[in-house]
Amino acid sequence: MSMAEYRYSLYGTAVRYETDAPILAQPVNELLRHFRRENALDADAGLALRFYQVKDRAEIPLTISASARQLASGTGEAVGDRRATGLPYKVSVDQGLLIAEFHEIGVLAIDGAQGRADGYVINPERLPSNLIEYLFHLALIELLRRRDLYTIHATALEYNGRGVLIPGNSGRGKTTSFISLLRSGYRYLSDDHPLLQDSGAQVEVLPFPIKINVTDATVQFFPELKSASEQVLHPGVPKRFFYAEDLYQTAVGERCRPALVLFPHVVDSPKSHLELLPKSRALEALLPQALLVYDQEVARREFKVLAKLVQQVDCYRLHFGRDILDLPKLITPLLEKGR
Amino acid sequence: MVEISATTILSGAAESSIHGSIDWTQLDRIVLRPSPDVQGTTMDGETVLLDLSSGRYYTLNRLGSVIWEHCTGQNTMVDIHAVICDRFDVASERALGDLVDLANELVQEGLLQQERR
Repeated sequence: MSMAEYRYSLYGTAVRYETDAPILAQPVNELLRHFRRENALDADAGLALRFYQVKDRAEIPLTISASARQLASGTGEAVGDRRATGLPYKVSVDQGLLIAEFHEIGVLAIDGAQGRADGYVINPERLPSNLIEYLFHLALIELLRRRDLYTIHATALEYNGRGVLIPGNSGRGKTTSFISLLRSGYRYLSDDHPLLQDSGAQVEVLPFPIKINVTDATVQFFPELKSASEQVLHPGVPKRFFYAEDLYQTAVGERCRPALVLFPHVVDSPKSHLELLPKSRALEALLPQALLVYDQEVARREFKVLAKLVQQVDCYRLHFGRDILDLPKLITPLLEKGR
Repeated sequence: MVEISATTILSGAAESSIHGSIDWTQLDRIVLRPSPDVQGTTMDGETVLLDLSSGRYYTLNRLGSVIWEHCTGQNTMVDIHAVICDRFDVASERALGDLVDLANELVQEGLLQQERR
């Protein structure tokens, strides 16, 4: 079995990805396109992920022992990222190995201590690429959080060296508010999962640039998206997507100190307004967008990082009205204040 | 009066242990301390607690936060009652009722451990 190998570097952490199927390579290279490194890295000290294609569950060389402890099961939100909602899963821990099973899709076996993850995907050619990307991302973020790089389910932008995080579930105006700020000159950090790192003095937000997925409803709010050609706004299932740099005068932003966290929800009102949130409420709202307890010590560290983040920013509930294109007028003064 | 709200990040398979309720006749001997599985932080006077064994997290209001802050393994229930009466404009009996209710809840949730001195 021949394995293709790809190398990346995420903020000092080397990542090596190997797979036996081109169809399992493309979505990963797309996800990590800003982090690709062709030159040799010391992969021994980094993270190693391997994805294999299999024909059925019986072909997956992974047996779960009787002593395995089930941590969670359900539909949808296995870890941080919510894009593959509706996916039945089961997460268990077996002799230090975190095992995430996705019924009829595949299995991830994540060895946090060793910095390794193996993925087995059942007949990947029938799966949408965003699902393969989701499985890889899930394994990657579990490994990264053990290297003190945490992900958060949010969009993120930078404005003059100050970061804005917009966490939240789909359908609450997260991507719409993000595009409204992006088109007015904010720099792009991530559409769905920026990274957080505690640099000592402060918690910083780090870019994780990916393509921007938009619903048809979101497209309708922005004239430039409505009129964009298929070369810019690419067809995709279930959402169309574009690259920020193809549409706007923007660049990928720098790692920066977040100054604002906005929790949006759509209101039926002509004007948007902000409501300052007490920090405890903000942390409470942030936890389900970031933290899942699979490893106690990792979760303890991540909780402290999130608490520190909340302490250093102003948090607002954004009651997001119909004045979508005017959002920068509401937000930019907050970022210019106290500079 | 004392509000506690709980949300589960992960519905764990943590075994629920049996926690006895607070004995009203022993309040001068009972001390409470946080479970080692709990990570917490207080902001703007409210406390957010994460139970690492279950993945559940909780928010305590101002009164709950003052109670939590004094559950260090040093203070008896009587000591904590005196602090509440001093800090809040509340009738002594009501304060005691709230204290015991919250302590019971936190012990039952596995967030606090009780010891007799």
